[in-house]
Amino acid sequence: MPERNKSKIAQWWRNLNVRHSLGLSLILLVLTTVLYFILQPNIARSGTITRLLTSNFRTWLPVILVTIGQAIVILGGGLDLSNGSIVSVGNVILALTVTTTDEPGKNMLMVLVVIAFGLVAGLLNGFFTAYLGLQPVIITFASSFVYSGLALLLLPSPGGDIPREYTSVYRSTQVLGIPLALIVIVLAILIWSFFRQRKYGRFLFAVGGNDKAAYTTGVPVTWMKISTYVISGLLASLAAISYTLLTGSGLSSSGNDMTLASITGSVLGGISMSGGAGSVIGAVFGGIILGNIRNIISTLKLDSWWRTLVNALLIVLVLAGPGLINLIRGKKK
Amino acid sequence: MKSIVLYTEKIEKRFGGVIALREGTIEVRSGEVLALVGSNGSGKSTLTKVTTGVLSSDGGTIFYHDEPVTYTNPMAAQRAGIMAVYQELSLIPSLTVAQNIWLANEPKTKFGSIDEKTMNEKTAKLLTLFTGTFQSSFHPEAYVRDLPPDERQIVEILKAYSRKPDVLILDEATASLDSKQVSCLFDLVQLLKSENKGLVFVSHRMDEIFRIADRAVILRNGKTVGEVVLSESNEDEVVNMMVGSTVSLTRALSSGIDFTDKESVLTVENVANERLSGVSFDIKQGELVGIGGLRGQGQSTLLHTLFGNNRYTGKITLFDETLTFDHPKDAMDHGVALIPGDRATEGLLLLRSIFENLHLPNWAKYSRPFLKVKSAYSDAEGVSQQLNLVMESLDSPVSSLSGGNAQKVVIGKWLLRNPQLLLLDDPTKGVDVGTKSEFYKLLGKLQQSGTTILFHSSDEQELLDLCERVLVMQDGKVKADLSGDQLTESNLVFHSMGATNNNNHYEESTHA
Repeated sequence: MPERNKSKIAQWWRNLNVRHSLGLSLILLVLTTVLYFILQPNIARSGTITRLLTSNFRTWLPVILVTIGQAIVILGGGLDLSNGSIVSVGNVILALTVTTTDEPGKNMLMVLVVIAFGLVAGLLNGFFTAYLGLQPVIITFASSFVYSGLALLLLPSPGGDIPREYTSVYRSTQVLGIPLALIVIVLAILIWSFFRQRKYGRFLFAVGGNDKAAYTTGVPVTWMKISTYVISGLLASLAAISYTLLTGSGLSSSGNDMTLASITGSVLGGISMSGGAGSVIGAVFGGIILGNIRNIISTLKLDSWWRTLVNALLIVLVLAGPGLINLIRGKKK
Repeated sequence: MKSIVLYTEKIEKRFGGVIALREGTIEVRSGEVLALVGSNGSGKSTLTKVTTGVLSSDGGTIFYHDEPVTYTNPMAAQRAGIMAVYQELSLIPSLTVAQNIWLANEPKTKFGSIDEKTMNEKTAKLLTLFTGTFQSSFHPEAYVRDLPPDERQIVEILKAYSRKPDVLILDEATASLDSKQVSCLFDLVQLLKSENKGLVFVSHRMDEIFRIADRAVILRNGKTVGEVVLSESNEDEVVNMMVGSTVSLTRALSSGIDFTDKESVLTVENVANERLSGVSFDIKQGELVGIGGLRGQGQSTLLHTLFGNNRYTGKITLFDETLTFDHPKDAMDHGVALIPGDRATEGLLLLRSIFENLHLPNWAKYSRPFLKVKSAYSDAEGVSQQLNLVMESLDSPVSSLSGGNAQKVVIGKWLLRNPQLLLLDDPTKGVDVGTKSEFYKLLGKLQQSGTTILFHSSDEQELLDLCERVLVMQDGKVKADLSGDQLTESNLVFHSMGATNNNNHYEESTHA
């Protein structure tokens, strides 16, 4: 029911919260961004902001991509604890095989192999969780060891060397002054918005909201769930490609931190852990917030365990937030 | 004779060792309403679920438009034109009313995206079918999680209707609706009938069956035992076919005790919270007091508040002690037990055994010095016999029980505590006649043993049969406190509807 007494802004804010659960993540996004910029010494100098944006987004892109994938899985009522390991495998494959620019055809093929691996790994996760009906947490936790074991098998010690020609494309390509990484993010959001307005989006929220009810209504629940893991695998492989282009080398544990980051990012972005509520744009916000926090901590020259601590505190705070607010208001369900 | 749309021939369904359905045979004709009647656990819900593809059958054949068909999922059945309004709601709380109604059937724009505007407009149009029977907060863009049960049920009905089915199955669709809403639903059923659709109406309310249905198929123990043309039959005949013998609905009435001199057990003074606005009443030792009124007038909230589930302002006195219940445990420690209405979510751990469920609130009793499982087990056996529980064994999961038997477990687990004050929140909703009469006997026994009972029911007849005093609630207030000669059906309805002055209609109905 439209509330006539409230101003337009109040209504917009309410809509943002009720419909997209974006309110808190928007506040955190603005807060961390402002804090980060204040801490930059040369902020007033021209070009600094553009330079920072370019370098930041290319660093953040892998985490943002896996967070989007994670968000879609969580929205569908699941959880993917293997996405970081899929990134590791992709990174290792590329570092081992893409070493010269002499054979662009072969390099392209390897990129496709990485993507195919992401899809197959996601399909396996989906098959075991959705089709066989096993616990997502256990299945994807187990499969994460399979994938990270594979990465370690392929590349026991850090190595590999991606040609500079490729990494510089990733680092410095701009279209109309917009860095490549940001374009990828915007593209991801646009593709999501396209599907959000279609059957797929509606089914996803229905399955995450109440899969039994969705099934009796005629929603193909199993396929929807499998698809979320496949999408998560696909995005993890894309994250692997961008991560490899960013670092120029291979590391069998490269994706290890990304799993928790993708969950933190989703939660910060307002995705309900029980599924069916939230928005993928929120997940992008969440990824950026995490990036900001990382930057703030390194700018302040704090030890890196601060980052873990702050991330963990944020998860607890965001998950417990609504309950705490109700407690303070003296309400009981 | 009208043409047969759907014919299910000797459908069978087993759940593990329990046979839910052994010979489910029904014949649905176009332009006709078929009532499917039977006690709880007789296989009605199972039969409808097999027909709509939610469950797969273990035997038998379904003929749809004279063709044998097998639907392995609800989608296939829906595409073919078979839809059901389920007893357990199939709605998604985090989606809006419109999104739920059009789920998997969304109107599209010419670009292929979901046309939210058309969807909301179409929904608003559908809602006009129930105009005047719901609150203003019920609109296409409201979230289902915010709706009371009756409005959810309306969404469920409209969802099925919007898909323009050839066969529509209404499985206990009226259980949460008030009389006005039921009338709207019946208008809709008549409309579908005139469009030559086949309708199946599953209900426990005999008057509704005779009001809306043309024929009735009677199921007993998973088997079709008979069929009657309702215009040539009567309630007694149908009930007898259902239970296989004659059952008296009415409790050996009236304990004949005068409660005015008795001690007060519970005194409620001006209790208010979100849904209650100043409730006051007083209950004497051993009284059985009913709570009536239209659905969703705060009856459940009142019971939950007394049980410490909701915060409140005001004063509650129990056994001369002013209480501030913060948690159900406080209430339990004072001998208060609540038997909830929604047994699946509030009363039972469906996957755990009957034994575990029965003892869930009682373990403390058996805990010193070590857990006395044996004596707990024999107590549980005693209660299950007292309740006449139909089960494989105490170790079977509650999910293997039929609805009526599952409800008995909810009651049983509180009986083991010997409660002083028993709060019942519409416990017989969707429970069959046989179980009900057993249940009434049980209440009578409890009352005689000195238990004070506060009993909310949405069934007016039940209140009249059982209670010597009924509190009628409206808008979170006690509108009337009826007892003795005052306690008549017309008075009950009159106060439920919230009328305040004695108009002519009231005069006529009370003095007629």
